[in-house]
Amino acid sequence: MEDLLIQFLNNTGYAMADYRHVIMIIIGCVFIYLGIAKHYEPLLLVPIGFGILIGNVPVFHGLGLSIYENNSVLHYLYMGVTLGIYPPLIFMGIGAMTDFSTMLARPVLMLLGAAAQMGIFITFLGALALGFEPKEAASIGIIGGADGPTAIFLTAKLAPDLIGPIAIAAYSYMALVPVIQPPIMKLLTSRKERLIRMEEPREVSKREKILFPIFGILLCCFLAPAALPLLGLLFLGNLLKEAVVTERLAVAARNSIIDTVTILLGLTVGASTQADVFLTGKSVGIFILGAVSFGIATASGVIFAKIMNRFLKDKINPLLGAAGVSAVPDSARVVQIVGQEEDPSNFLLMHAMAPNISGVIGSAIGAGVLWSFMM
Amino acid sequence: MYGLEAISANNGWAMALLGITIVFSGLAFLSFFISRLHLFLEFWENKDERIAKLKKRFQKKPEIKKEAPVVKVPDNLQEAMAQFKMLTTRIGDPFSLPRLIEMAEMSGLFHPHSTVNKFIKAGVIEPDGKGFFTWKL
Repeated sequence: MEDLLIQFLNNTGYAMADYRHVIMIIIGCVFIYLGIAKHYEPLLLVPIGFGILIGNVPVFHGLGLSIYENNSVLHYLYMGVTLGIYPPLIFMGIGAMTDFSTMLARPVLMLLGAAAQMGIFITFLGALALGFEPKEAASIGIIGGADGPTAIFLTAKLAPDLIGPIAIAAYSYMALVPVIQPPIMKLLTSRKERLIRMEEPREVSKREKILFPIFGILLCCFLAPAALPLLGLLFLGNLLKEAVVTERLAVAARNSIIDTVTILLGLTVGASTQADVFLTGKSVGIFILGAVSFGIATASGVIFAKIMNRFLKDKINPLLGAAGVSAVPDSARVVQIVGQEEDPSNFLLMHAMAPNISGVIGSAIGAGVLWSFMM
Repeated sequence: MYGLEAISANNGWAMALLGITIVFSGLAFLSFFISRLHLFLEFWENKDERIAKLKKRFQKKPEIKKEAPVVKVPDNLQEAMAQFKMLTTRIGDPFSLPRLIEMAEMSGLFHPHSTVNKFIKAGVIEPDGKGFFTWKL
């Protein structure tokens, strides 16, 4: 009986845990704290944080408990990530939630979304220079797109071993948008520039809104077919929303489907960060490069807006460039907050949604392009 | 391999440059398309009116036929005109005025100079701008 008790105690998590598990459990708790107490992307950070706790309870290998064991429940759920199923479904929900009106009203702002994707490719070069393999470098670079589902999708295709660190880095920086972006935005703009007011956008007709997803998918995916899984479902979701007659499907896409998938994605990505897989030198490199990528993306958008102002008759507020990173809608909110610090009556949120949404499209095209380069 | 050497060895420069170019062109193309979309829809909604306008613009303007000036020939000139016309069938139209007068004199017609002068005043014959005259009736 004593042996049995000792054997049992040796098989408990308490006995098997080492300092790495403790570190990861602390990280998981920090995520949950940031989500609940600080309201930083709670819908993502809470499931991911909890997933980190689940993934870092030490378990006996061979019992089918770990996410990396073929016969475990978590493994089956994780297949939605590794097979690239969850990200397109999330994109469908985003499409069904998003109103593209401001972008359709002033399409020139889409170029800011394109400029912000510079972060992806510059970080790709940085990762290559640090000795990462090209496929890993591409997956790290996409963190600069500030789009969690896109980062997970591309990493699942190119470097599945890095899904955990890359997803955690991408979502961490997305959650930290209100902390990372404002100093860069203020550094690169003058007060006069931050005070620029945008003119009211024109009214967009229903027909335009319906036609946009149809032409959008055709124009973008003929150019970059590898972006089809993400952009295809993004535009489908938007068509369901705008068509009105498919309102039931749009409601399902933007509520039950996206919510279910977000829970499963967050949980499994969090659970994939098992200490022995996650706490490596590569992960540290990924986190550093992710931060650099995010910074470059923000700066590229702002600088490009300033360049555009040299040619435009109606000047645009260069803060909008920061919304080109596709963390929807957080980066647009940050633009609004920074703009209102200078002038409380200046409302930039609506205008910032245009580069913000085009950033989503741009990062999906960028992911498609990188994927096709690596094939 | 690290640094610039690693970038070059993995064709990184070309991939980064081409990648950002493709993303930029894709969004620029979409942006251009969107900027034209509402104009196209506006045209489509008022297509009948617009097509009618276009048709009107490209339609050949109907040629306005110049109406022949109404020339009133005084009764006393009617007979002389018939005689002089007969002469011009021989010398052709357009004709030389001195030659017509000479023919008229040879044919024994009275006062050919004043008769021709009356024809000119009445607009029955007109100069063709090349030194000859032609019948207007």
